[in-house]
Amino acid sequence: MKRHVTVNDHSAKIEIEGSRLRYEREDGVVIEGEFSVEGTSVLLNGRSYRVSKGAGKEIWVNGRLLSMEVFDPRDLRPGQGATVNQGRQEIVASMPGKVIRVLVAAGDTVEEGQGLVVVEAMKMQNEMKSPKAGRVAEVRARPDATVGAGEILVVVE
Amino acid sequence: MFSKVLVANRGEIAVRVVRALRELGIASVASYSDADRGSLAVRLADEAAYVGPSPSSESYLRIDRVIEAAKRHGAEAIHPGYGFLSENAEFAEACAAAGIVFIGPPAEAIRKLGSKTAARRLAIAAGAPVVPGTEQALSGWEEARSAASVLGYPVLLKASAGGGGKGMRRVDGESDLQSALRDAASEAGRAFGNSEVYIEKLVEEPRHIEIQILGDRHGHLIHLGERECSIQRRHQKVIEECPSPFMASHPELRQRMGQAALKVARAADYTNAGTVEFLVDRDANFYFLEVNTRLQVEHPVTELATGLDLVEWQLKIAAGERLTLEQKDITWRGSAIECRIYAEDPEHDFMPAPGTILHLSEPSGPGIRLDSGIFEGWKVPLEYDPLLAKLAAWGLTRESAIRKLDRALAEYVLTGVRNNIAFFREVLADAEFREGRLSTSFLERFFKRRKKTEADPEIEAAAALVLMLESSSAGLQANGTSRWLNSGREELLR
Repeated sequence: MKRHVTVNDHSAKIEIEGSRLRYEREDGVVIEGEFSVEGTSVLLNGRSYRVSKGAGKEIWVNGRLLSMEVFDPRDLRPGQGATVNQGRQEIVASMPGKVIRVLVAAGDTVEEGQGLVVVEAMKMQNEMKSPKAGRVAEVRARPDATVGAGEILVVVE
Repeated sequence: MFSKVLVANRGEIAVRVVRALRELGIASVASYSDADRGSLAVRLADEAAYVGPSPSSESYLRIDRVIEAAKRHGAEAIHPGYGFLSENAEFAEACAAAGIVFIGPPAEAIRKLGSKTAARRLAIAAGAPVVPGTEQALSGWEEARSAASVLGYPVLLKASAGGGGKGMRRVDGESDLQSALRDAASEAGRAFGNSEVYIEKLVEEPRHIEIQILGDRHGHLIHLGERECSIQRRHQKVIEECPSPFMASHPELRQRMGQAALKVARAADYTNAGTVEFLVDRDANFYFLEVNTRLQVEHPVTELATGLDLVEWQLKIAAGERLTLEQKDITWRGSAIECRIYAEDPEHDFMPAPGTILHLSEPSGPGIRLDSGIFEGWKVPLEYDPLLAKLAAWGLTRESAIRKLDRALAEYVLTGVRNNIAFFREVLADAEFREGRLSTSFLERFFKRRKKTEADPEIEAAAALVLMLESSSAGLQANGTSRWLNSGREELLR
């Protein structure tokens, strides 16, 4: 399982396989090792951490407060299960990154799940898909542009 | 002794008083506003009385409603806690008129000590040292100059009608006096409609040290030693200790300050528990500041060091019992330190941070005392002071107390509302704090030398791991409840 992470406005990625974890930050710092999770208790490389969620993006680990979001790079938006696919939809960058390709133009008709924009972050390319069938009202993403988390890329109506 | 007492307060202090009542076999009545219907005090008390809507001006500060609630429940006495009506002479009188005992000093003593200026005059008359200065407003520049040269610079200009730092100016030398006088007077005029200014000697980097007093209604009055409360933010205490680390190098000071406090208390015919506050300078000169005619927030450190129960004594004294302790019986053992856990953000100027407590795991173990008014799922109301709990530690030495307190802070998990738990660990690790080099400007200077440490990447990895597992379907149980809440509940049931 792979996930993207934003932590205090920096990016990282995490990958687990069985009981092994690999956590890589954008600054190149890598944490690798064996883990075990039991409720709020995490053992990582034999060290014990207590992890508790706070309000919103807040998460506390051993008394330290982090602002963190984790999301599936395949999802359009972080931390949300079902999205409401009605009305005007703003497709936003789920994490800071760089626009690699813009796949649609204003006025195009799109199907639900059709790719709109490709954004690269942490050396992983994510295709942002349309949450609904409709017409592209606006394309704000420009190739090679750097985008911040939450920035509007495309509007579908 | 009483058979039923109403607690006219909320939060941790209401819990503290309810506990004392239960220990003495007295039925307790918690009072609550709309926001506090689900509070811990209501849950722990034998009975609970509604006193009005959430704003304190419509509930906890309403003398008529509080007294009516006491009557309705048949309470013979009211414990006011601290804040709210605790220092309100009118309330003490209204209790008496309703045939209810007010657990605190007589209304007359509250009046004598209630106003800062009246208390200062009383202290001077009683022979307690006060910060030297002019009693009356300055008539003009000539009087200011001669007064300042007698006092010696630096001096402080203060608005007669003042408060909150308005109309206050520090003056370091005569060359600055004239302009400072003009500025202070005009600022005071704008703020209070009264431009009168007086002058005081400036006590530089003072310590705030206060003396706990206890007196019965039969003329017996003793002091229980000091508490040092120099660590403050926005003039509000956040860490308190007993004994003061300053006493180690000034062993005679406790006795001298204790005697001065008793002089003031006697002059006001004081009874029950009270606190006389002083400023102490580097040379161990101390100056009377004010009297708090009630139980203090920080009373647990005195209880830990003396082994006495102040709330129990408040109840006994109010019931007319004799204070059976003599001054010579009072001894101080070891060292106690308390920190106030607030729902506030130390990273943003200690802004209050209300919210719902999502996860709570409270510390315990050797040497730890926790006076808490919260529980998991409790919504910290917007309407009141954001004090959540007081965590105190006792050790044979100050070093040992600090180590225990730090350990307990490390165990403390409180999420959902921003709080100062992690911040206290930084303060306890500070070299100046460890050496006991304290003053009321400690925190201001601490922020200047404070270094932010980067989070260990492994901490990030642990957090990301948990969020990842939670966001995947495995993290949510079939009924859609969060593993977090469930594991928290399980922990409480252990």
